Amino acid sequence: MARLQADVLIIGGGATGAATAWDAALRGFDVVLVDRADLAEGTSGRFHGLLHSGGRYVVKDRVAAEECVAENAIVRRILPDAVEDTGGLFVTTPDDDPAYGDRFMEGCRAAGLPAEEIPVAEALRMEPRLNPGIQRAFTVPDGAIDVWKSVWSLAAGAAAHGARILTYHKVLDLHVGDGGVTGARVRNELTGEELDIEAGFTLNASGAWAAQIVHMAGIEGIGVIPGKGIMIAMNHRLVNTVVNRCTMPADGDILVPIRTVSAIGTTDIRAADPDEIPVTQQEVDQMLDGGERLVPGLRQARALRVWAGVRPLFQDDRSGPAAADTRDVSRGHAVVDHAERDGVRRLLTMSGGKLTTMRLMAQDLVDAMCRQLGDERPCRTEHERPPGHEDGRHMQIGDRLRRREATLRDEQLICECELIGRSRLEQTMQTRGTLNLDDVRRQLRLGMGPCQGGFCIYRATGILHGVERLDGEEASASLTSFLQERWKGVWPILYGDQLRQARLDDWIFQGLLDVEHLPEAAAVVPDEELSAS
Amino acid sequence: MSRHDVVVVGAGMAGLTAAVRLAEGGATVLVLAKGVGATHLSPATIDVLGYAPDRVDRPLEALAAFAERHPGHPYGVVGAAGVAAAVPWFAERFADGPLAPYAYTGTADENLLLPTAVGVLRPSAVVPETMAGGDLRDGGEVCVVGFRALKDFHPRLAADNLSRHPGVTARGIELDCVPEGRVDVNALGFARAFDDAAFRKDVVARVAGRLHAEERVAFPAVLGIADPHAVWSELQDRLGRPVFEIPTLPPSVPGMRVFATLRERLRRAGSRVVLNNVVTGAEHRGGTVTGVRARVGLRDVVHGADWVVLATGGFASGGVELDSRWAGREVALGLPVAGIPAPGEERFGPAYFGEHPMARAGVAVDADQRPVGADGARVFDNVLVAGATLAGAEPWREKSGEGISLATGHRAAGLILDAAGSAQRSAVAATEG
Repeated sequence: MARLQADVLIIGGGATGAATAWDAALRGFDVVLVDRADLAEGTSGRFHGLLHSGGRYVVKDRVAAEECVAENAIVRRILPDAVEDTGGLFVTTPDDDPAYGDRFMEGCRAAGLPAEEIPVAEALRMEPRLNPGIQRAFTVPDGAIDVWKSVWSLAAGAAAHGARILTYHKVLDLHVGDGGVTGARVRNELTGEELDIEAGFTLNASGAWAAQIVHMAGIEGIGVIPGKGIMIAMNHRLVNTVVNRCTMPADGDILVPIRTVSAIGTTDIRAADPDEIPVTQQEVDQMLDGGERLVPGLRQARALRVWAGVRPLFQDDRSGPAAADTRDVSRGHAVVDHAERDGVRRLLTMSGGKLTTMRLMAQDLVDAMCRQLGDERPCRTEHERPPGHEDGRHMQIGDRLRRREATLRDEQLICECELIGRSRLEQTMQTRGTLNLDDVRRQLRLGMGPCQGGFCIYRATGILHGVERLDGEEASASLTSFLQERWKGVWPILYGDQLRQARLDDWIFQGLLDVEHLPEAAAVVPDEELSAS
Repeated sequence: MSRHDVVVVGAGMAGLTAAVRLAEGGATVLVLAKGVGATHLSPATIDVLGYAPDRVDRPLEALAAFAERHPGHPYGVVGAAGVAAAVPWFAERFADGPLAPYAYTGTADENLLLPTAVGVLRPSAVVPETMAGGDLRDGGEVCVVGFRALKDFHPRLAADNLSRHPGVTARGIELDCVPEGRVDVNALGFARAFDDAAFRKDVVARVAGRLHAEERVAFPAVLGIADPHAVWSELQDRLGRPVFEIPTLPPSVPGMRVFATLRERLRRAGSRVVLNNVVTGAEHRGGTVTGVRARVGLRDVVHGADWVVLATGGFASGGVELDSRWAGREVALGLPVAGIPAPGEERFGPAYFGEHPMARAGVAVDADQRPVGADGARVFDNVLVAGATLAGAEPWREKSGEGISLATGHRAAGLILDAAGSAQRSAVAATEG
């Protein structure tokens, strides 16, 4: 079995894991990060894109609010190119108690959050689609954050400092010995090969899957209840400012403009298994009703795609700071010290948290590791920018179009919806070396626009076939698995224009191309049959 | 208010078929459409029945049993006889059409197996002569030629999958011919390039020396829009072997040839297609429609008619809609929509190639193609429904779309001509008596 050595093994390639890899690599640790799938394919890639100002937490979770206030400013500074400075509004809808606004403002003052009440007329001028029946409005420094861009640049920054980022590597077992964890056995999910990683320390940043990981070290009594949140992307920027309902957090009360769409979210429903989070029609209806309250007519807009993510809600039998099991408990985070709790050294688990505070979570986790190692090294992430953010300029909605217009006459446009040119696509396919078009989707937004891949999937398959020198069978497998992946995100929201689009896509894939009847994968003929014939 | 014997709503395959047959039968016809129809999306092959659910080799023979298994299917309404009558009628429209001698070939008795752009062998019954050479039922050697500048056709991908079929050997080559020096040219741009002799000469020069002895040559379906027969014949002559077209992503050049042919036949018969007309409702006395309201720009115009043929297409074309509360609506005349599962029931399933409960939703009709409500009662006596608006079919999976549109459009026209003829005869009889 192949072996690998590192100072630190990080389990989980979401926002927490990537930020932790960046933090530890900057402090000079030799880092290996593993994820069973692609970067940001779990919870991180399935949220609404809100960079919290903290306003959502000021009334009931002061600690979380204060963390957001500080981290919001830092994230804007270190990952500017992933952040759109949309600003945010908290609005009191006709169904809400206007008096909550006073508690909200009081909370903002206490948390140091710069909020301001503005006249309703001014809020309606800012956002003409807002419910004209709103009673109060407050501005806050919310923003929109591109999670893939963030996670990729954190991982790239870590790699530039020597970290090895191993996606599609699943942890099969933790090695335990000498009173602690000494590494892990992992399997490359693409090749099936196993790999032994010897690590001086192991950081568990696997979120909703964290309990499964610590059980491998024989640790009991920790559970993670997956809290399912669904979000729907609407095909327009129905608002240009993040709009929050000014009330206690409830279902469908946030509308986030992110790139060319706006996402309405979310729910909080206990799921049995973080890998089984189907979206129901009833949940979709709940979201749309919530959205109507903020922006009347939202039901008439085109819904593009629905997805669900799982919050990691920790349950600890030995109810410590990490205990949390409903929406009413802290959205803050805590480091679970398994040396203290379970007598297992060299293993820490990050529990709770949220994307906005990913940097702080990483800092706390690596600080705790340094303390246990007796090797204090200062954190540098507060001021250091990972690659791709050098110019310090915030992302703007027109950036892509501007770049695209510059090459309009020289380059084929493969995905018209998301403005992806051929060379960028080929380059990404080459550097990723992936046969999975869904990996390309996460990196480039391929097929994420209004036509949901109707036109670009065939093109991308043809290009992938050429770039990776695939045979027909491999290319066809990429095509059909991407079609299924895309369907997963659209079938619960097929009505209106998106149903029309889906039928047009059926026309292309079923009618014109007849993908359904691609030749079956070649059957392996057993030796006896060969010799018999 | 203008007045016509028949207003046809929709300019796709079904609407144009009905309109041409009516006009050639002596009726005054007005075709109102929001825009060009599904012809521009369609591969333009006449697929009668390809899968049921196993592959069908002889569609006409299979139709009766198929219709019996699927109550409410449009084929149950038109029957095999309706299909058998409509298919040759369609092919004949090309005989002295504007693109003649460009012709359709094949019969509804048997399916050919023609390559798709991803390399699947797909069953089609009646096809443009420019595609028929791709029939690979008996296997064969194919060289698939594509163009780097045409992103909607990937010859090597198609060839690799074709080679996975028993008896088929295929390879793909990609040419760097760039019409007008542009890097991104769609199918119509290439079709115009092929209309140009110099471009054809260039393509032939690049392909000729690279072919194996037994190979036929496939191109994307872009071999000319002005005179496709001449383009195709010239390529066959110069390359000295069969050449055929493979349909690819929209816009569909062979579909535009269908549209051009039927529209010209309609014009010659004294009628016309008017686009940018959105039909928003019907004027009616009880169960009889007296005219349709159409929005043109900001104006509403009423067109009087004795008969209406509704052929606006299904969900893909916007003829039928579903709102976020899952209520269905036929958009032009407000007809009831059948086949939408009740609130709380599943509309679609989680597997893309699985079963979807509302896949067959559409407007239900009686034996005379009149729209009916949930109780089976006629909504209007003088409205006939044709094409993809109809409930009961899964055209893309069955490979039956053009067969249904053609047969139901053809039959709708026949029913109207018969009724008008008998009305005229009884009027004559009354005067004479």
